[in-house]
Amino acid sequence: MVERKIMLLHYYTGIAIIALVSIHIAMRLIMPFSESLEFSNVLNNYKNLPYTISLELLLITVAIHGFNGVRIILLEFKQGKAWESFVKFLTLILILIVVAWGTRTIVLTNLM
Amino acid sequence: MSRKRHKTGIKAWLKPYGYSLERWSYFFQRVSGVVLLLYFIGHVIETGTITGGFEVWLNTLNFTQNPFGHAILLIVILSGTFHAINGIRLYLTHQGYLLGKPERPEYPYYPKSFSRAQRVCFWLSVSIALVFFLYGFNILFGE
Repeated sequence: MVERKIMLLHYYTGIAIIALVSIHIAMRLIMPFSESLEFSNVLNNYKNLPYTISLELLLITVAIHGFNGVRIILLEFKQGKAWESFVKFLTLILILIVVAWGTRTIVLTNLM
Repeated sequence: MSRKRHKTGIKAWLKPYGYSLERWSYFFQRVSGVVLLLYFIGHVIETGTITGGFEVWLNTLNFTQNPFGHAILLIVILSGTFHAINGIRLYLTHQGYLLGKPERPEYPYYPKSFSRAQRVCFWLSVSIALVFFLYGFNILFGE
């Protein structure tokens, strides 16, 4: 039952990522690619609230989808209660670390 | 027969040849997923350097915005597009939409799990990934 819910979460985050990545790429292509990476342009992107919200959502959804994907791979290699608990714990920790690091960037750029 | 014999692990995972097209789809979906996750972690770290100020950001751009960095981006575009479209195929299949009707097994025994609709979706994901790859190539190396 729990695995079924996790798989549904995997699918829904996957669909959300397609929409959010499209927004992310579109923001890069509204001007020449190299210009879009200039310091002031990147900072302005982070200070645009609707876009920042989409970035945070992208960060969370990709972290969940990506690390859950690795969890699925690791469970295909080896099974067992202890291993499954360890992999689940590791997945959660890695998701939290990456989301925390990305959120830190968003918060600090808004304070700059 | 020992238990150990069945535990080929990653060696079996990385050997898609000699099976059906479905196995290639499985292989590419997982490899592209791992590639995308590694890029995602690198991207989060890379963008995080902007908090160090203008000079640090400039150093980051010097490190990433070069032909090697662009080649990595092209691999990411290829992997991302394939993973997304093939992922939609997998979602639809797991929901029961692309399974087709059950049939009596007849020689030669092609796997029925990978229906014609799914094969079309697989090749569509490969084709669209290549189109996006060429578009990305034009953006990154055409400037």
